[in-house]
Amino acid sequence: MKQNDVIVIGGGLAGLFAAITAAKRGRQVMLVTKGVGAIAIGGGSIDVLGYDAQGVPVRDPVAAMDGLSADHPFAILGHQRVETAVQSFLGLCAAEGYPYLGDLQHNQWIPTALGRLKPTCLTPLSMNASSLKTATDVTVVEFEGLKDYCGRVMVDGLRQCPGYAKNYSLVSLKTDINDGRDLSALDVARWLDSESGQAAFIDRLTAAVRPGSVILLPPVLGTKPDYHLFHKLEQATGCKLVETVGLPPAVTGYRLRRLLVNCLGKLNVKLIEQANVVRGIIENGRCTGIVTGNLDRERTYCAESFILASGGFFGGGLQAEAGRASEVVFDLPVAVPTDPAAWSKEKLFFAGSQPFAKFGLQVDGKLRPVDASGKLLLENVYIAGKSLAGYDYCVEKSGNGVALATAYQAGAEA
Amino acid sequence: MKKHQYNPDSCIACTSCVAYCPVSAATRKFAGPKMMGPALERFRGGETNTDFSLDYCANCKNCDISCPSGVPISTLNMLARAKQYKNKRRSLLDWMMSHSDLMSKLASPMAALSNFGMANPLTKMILKQVGITDKMSLPKYASKTFLQQFRAFKQQSFPDKVVFFSGCFINYYAPEVGMDLVAVMQRNKREVIVPEGLDCCGSPLVGKGYLDEAVEKARTNIAALKPWFDQGIPVLTCCTSCGLMLKMEIQEMMDLEHMEQLAAHTYDASEYLLELHGQGQLDTEFAPVAGRYIYHTPCHLRAQGIGKPSLELLSMIPGFQIEDADAGCCGQSGTYGFEVAKHDIAMAVAEPVFKRIKEYQPDYIVSDCSGCRLQLSQGTGFPALHPLTLLRRAYEG
Repeated sequence: MKQNDVIVIGGGLAGLFAAITAAKRGRQVMLVTKGVGAIAIGGGSIDVLGYDAQGVPVRDPVAAMDGLSADHPFAILGHQRVETAVQSFLGLCAAEGYPYLGDLQHNQWIPTALGRLKPTCLTPLSMNASSLKTATDVTVVEFEGLKDYCGRVMVDGLRQCPGYAKNYSLVSLKTDINDGRDLSALDVARWLDSESGQAAFIDRLTAAVRPGSVILLPPVLGTKPDYHLFHKLEQATGCKLVETVGLPPAVTGYRLRRLLVNCLGKLNVKLIEQANVVRGIIENGRCTGIVTGNLDRERTYCAESFILASGGFFGGGLQAEAGRASEVVFDLPVAVPTDPAAWSKEKLFFAGSQPFAKFGLQVDGKLRPVDASGKLLLENVYIAGKSLAGYDYCVEKSGNGVALATAYQAGAEA
Repeated sequence: MKKHQYNPDSCIACTSCVAYCPVSAATRKFAGPKMMGPALERFRGGETNTDFSLDYCANCKNCDISCPSGVPISTLNMLARAKQYKNKRRSLLDWMMSHSDLMSKLASPMAALSNFGMANPLTKMILKQVGITDKMSLPKYASKTFLQQFRAFKQQSFPDKVVFFSGCFINYYAPEVGMDLVAVMQRNKREVIVPEGLDCCGSPLVGKGYLDEAVEKARTNIAALKPWFDQGIPVLTCCTSCGLMLKMEIQEMMDLEHMEQLAAHTYDASEYLLELHGQGQLDTEFAPVAGRYIYHTPCHLRAQGIGKPSLELLSMIPGFQIEDADAGCCGQSGTYGFEVAKHDIAMAVAEPVFKRIKEYQPDYIVSDCSGCRLQLSQGTGFPALHPLTLLRRAYEG
């Protein structure tokens, strides 16, 4: 018996932001998580709505929300609540000394590790690629031994993007890491956390670039959520720097997670790691507690309200077997076609949306779970993030945006 | 072996463990948890190659804690290490680092002499030849072990009993922590039982690849504890590595009768006291305790999936302020930091915690793990206490 105001299940972006939102309202919050969630290894940019249902790139995410189907989480929340969530996130990042850039009325195009451009809404300052669009000279920096980032692929990719026929040059720099295992972007970022690494890198970079160009580099500008090195390098080189999206561990997401976890500490959120929530205790349509099932025994934690941010099929919040899908903790219904053949299209990577991608929990306007007839199932449980039905983050590029918006709503209600 | 705890194929190669492995961050000699654990496990069906990179895993469990897919990565490493060293000649260092219980049995009866013997320059030189660093002071044997002190102590009898599994460190080096536990339990109307025939929990043996010996220790401990947990009497630890072994690692690495029942009855001492509080049975007549404190969470406590019970408990002391350092692993990992080959890595891992503590300038560091306390107090110069020691002070005013 451990009493809290709010218990959040899940430690990804949705769980962390929901916990922060609830704690900022003065609620005593406990967050229970198994593992660190995809935010830790992801790109850290906040996609809100990159492509519409027809696959057309979105310029203005807010305007494009009007075209979403009624069961899409953004349609359920409405513009205003998404805007409030985004403002809250931007305010939090700024207050923590790691401001994000962007607004809901504009998408940005940022370079991926393969030299393609992807639409996103909010980015760290160091990923702001507006300078790339207008640049004449672009220097692509790669690191010797960093196999996950190939400068040649980046240049060839970007050249094929309409409007990006620039004067590209490719520079390969050495790190001072020359022993042991394969190099990752995180290793380089750790090297650049050190003063000696920074000094060496500044020397090598300034010698290799001409002032006035735009420098593209993998996400390596330190592991901490701050812009010290970024600003220092822009000053030393006289260039604009752009960190691209990287392969996992992508460092930029690692920084964002660190920022959010720091906030949990400041807000006295109790964090229980390495705990697997196996079921909820339900009495008269309300959840009174959750039960963790670790290797030793089960433990019960009680609260007034609960936020379920345990993820979709991939994250372990939803599970599927032939012809049936369900939510793991509360065994909430997940509506699926009875014919398994209708779950997916034969070609995995066809241009449209896979039906299974939109499977998930149906909710009311407050994000509480409802059944197919719209009847409220649990009056004090709020759903945030990928366990929600109605959106396909892969195709839409909406994952972190839905996570933030629904987490804010859940955290404000719970 | 619990099958559900042993599936390298659950690994989706997401790299979360790589991102949060403190050893990988500190040294490039370690290929990292993903590579050494699930990735290589698929190739370990037959004859194993000797891969010295595996030696760098400190079994700190940060990989398991960060894994979203529930893969027991550190356990895969420890099992692989045991297989790698099976029937191989081992160094004196490896033997000493994993059998400190035996050495303590010999040295502890002459504690003063042993401490003098260990601290003199000649011994230090010899130890360095063996591979033990001279940059860190080894812990000192207590003049009387916990067991000796406990046997001499007259307890008040109560109907509610708890069993205490002290572990080697508390028995030989920090008996006062064990006696603090006894005092706190007595205050809460619990009689403490220390059964005959308990042995080392096996954690240092597992860490050095002596799995077969660890299995024997576990078998011995289960047999000694069974009469008590069969009656529903809880088994308390206040060493987080002993606790992790009894609760989880035995089940992950071994297949022994009654191991599930032992795990189900094992409690971290602070966890147990919090449960008492939940049942309205905790004596909360705490007197204020003066001083400036900073708390460090041991990785082996985080791995237990119970949060930070000591912090919650200490927050009940009126007016008590304690800062949560929240600065990651201390690097010591039991005996890891004592080895010449690993000491610099342990110090590099600890740097953020050292920095945090030095900036805070506490009167005391507080931590549940003996290895953490040793490392942090030597690394920062501030003394370190077990949470139960503070709790006892709050009771005794």
